[in-house]
Amino acid sequence: MTQSNYKLVKILLLLFLGIWLIFTLFPLYFMIVTSLKPVEEINRMIPTFWPETMKFNNYAGIFADPGSLKSLVDSVIVSVTNTALSLFLGTMAGYALARWIRGVIGENLAFWILSNRMFPPVAVIIPMFFLFDSMPWGTDSYFSLIVLYLVFNLPLATWLMMVFFRDAPRELEEAAYLDGYTPFRAFFKVTLPLVFPGMISVAMLCWIFAWNEYLFANLLTGTTVKTFPVHIPTFTLGSQTLWNLVMAFSLVAMLPPVILFIVLRRYMVRGLSLGVVKG
Amino acid sequence: MAKLELDGICKGYDRPILDRLSLTVEEGEFFVIVGPSGIGKTTLLRCVAGLEVLDAGRVIFGGKDVTRVPPYRRNAAMTFESYALYPHMTVFENIASPLRARKVDKATIEKSVTDVARLLRIEQLLDRRPHEVSGGQKQRTALGRTLVAKPDVFLLDEPISHLDAKIRHELRRQFHTLQELRRVATVYVTHDYAEALSLGDRIGVMGNGGLVQIGSAREVFERPNNIFVARHLGQPSINEVACSISDSGGQITLQSASGNFVFAAGGAQRGLLQKAKGDVLVGIRPQHVRVANGAATGQIAEAKVEAFEALGATGVLIAEVGGIALTVLTSPEDDYEPGQPIRLALDVDQFLYFDPAQGNNLQTKAA
Repeated sequence: MTQSNYKLVKILLLLFLGIWLIFTLFPLYFMIVTSLKPVEEINRMIPTFWPETMKFNNYAGIFADPGSLKSLVDSVIVSVTNTALSLFLGTMAGYALARWIRGVIGENLAFWILSNRMFPPVAVIIPMFFLFDSMPWGTDSYFSLIVLYLVFNLPLATWLMMVFFRDAPRELEEAAYLDGYTPFRAFFKVTLPLVFPGMISVAMLCWIFAWNEYLFANLLTGTTVKTFPVHIPTFTLGSQTLWNLVMAFSLVAMLPPVILFIVLRRYMVRGLSLGVVKG
Repeated sequence: MAKLELDGICKGYDRPILDRLSLTVEEGEFFVIVGPSGIGKTTLLRCVAGLEVLDAGRVIFGGKDVTRVPPYRRNAAMTFESYALYPHMTVFENIASPLRARKVDKATIEKSVTDVARLLRIEQLLDRRPHEVSGGQKQRTALGRTLVAKPDVFLLDEPISHLDAKIRHELRRQFHTLQELRRVATVYVTHDYAEALSLGDRIGVMGNGGLVQIGSAREVFERPNNIFVARHLGQPSINEVACSISDSGGQITLQSASGNFVFAAGGAQRGLLQKAKGDVLVGIRPQHVRVANGAATGQIAEAKVEAFEALGATGVLIAEVGGIALTVLTSPEDDYEPGQPIRLALDVDQFLYFDPAQGNNLQTKAA
């Protein structure tokens, strides 16, 4: 009796997992398939689940198109610069909040920084537009996007790094002082290596946000600077949308985050569990 | 190589921890601070190391006032109770850390670290990381890190308290023989009285606010100036009996508060009568009461066995004497049944007499 119950549970579980896999993997599958179809095949009323004529020229077309390539390059410039800045400033600020700014002031300051992340971004979109429009560098520049994304990434980076630094034992730093390291050298020699997995996680989170962001990029930029999420809608023509190109381009744009996640997975898990398991 | 002087240092958080504490540790001296947990022993070390900012007072290394010198310029080495080994570095790198901080050249580092590692017998572990070595080896790594630094002052915070008995014993022996430790001023903190008595050239017993008594192992053990000191040193701990004192025809008689335990103080205690003002707290070490065999002379008390523990090297007997439970040290071969009547021989000359209010020793203070 219990044996068959156990079997039933197992079957139900597998069934659930199967359905869940279909939900998550089918869109990806359909993206890949669509990206390989010629334009005549993409708008069939009964869609084909396997391309009748498989062609790779959608990909070739994207890599031959200067606009598409430039949008990827722009995305890399904006997201990497923003991530580097967020990580650098967030690490410094997080360390200061964790170690030096204590008490009521520190607690409130830390909470205020985090609260910057709590409002919906849409709430500030119009003020942001006018603010950046009044700046000498204007709205349509790398600088404006990099700075704007700091508004969202810096609180996150600061807050997370602060938590990681709080969990790094203070005694290790003190031991380094007694070894003769100045606070500055002790920070780089001892404290920073301890929070390194955390920094990787923070960098990934910041980078993914900057890489995928569409709303602000679309509003502020579009001519001189055009990140890939803004470039995708240009595949929509007057009469139809070139879904095969959209899918091919999206897949290309998906590749860097996926590869990075696979490579840095080890650090990500360690970083996110840094606060849980104390070394 | 310098002597360490503390001049009236004060440190407090929500309450005072160190209150005008002054102490001089000579060059080459091994000074042990013993006291119950949470009394401020670690705080004292951190003040000496410079990790805490003093509220008042001065810290002096070899005649130089370092009160305002940050820890990384003080040349003090400290082992932490948690060892504080850098988890991302190997044992070698951990030990080399003070030398690297001083930018010593590679060959010298290599040689110094290997020498220290050989001394502490961890040379086979140099490539491992701290989480891959045992507790005793971690402790030796931490010690090695302080040894290579050749500091002016050594601060050791409960370095062997968390280890098991066998390694503890081995490391205790190592502390006796380490010449490196014998050339500088060392302050060693522990809560284990046996460790303190065994290692210290001098011992400071720490109570609320500072050091209650400083002296050699023999002094603090045999002539504690306060019941607090007597209570903290010795295992099993000292018996405390609240007594009233009276003069009955040239004989000083002490009677326990419950009334049924009566004995006469030794002849040397004439001065007690004036100082005690009627009440006295008598401290009786378990080894100063023996189970008397038939022909015993001297002061005898009738007692009943309450419990007996044979602990291998000694036996611990809890005897009930006139409503008072006395801990008595006996031979482990003895065997006692609960309820069995026995006679106890009291070595009254060794008893200690304290003021019941302040806890001061009535024999040594103002004698």
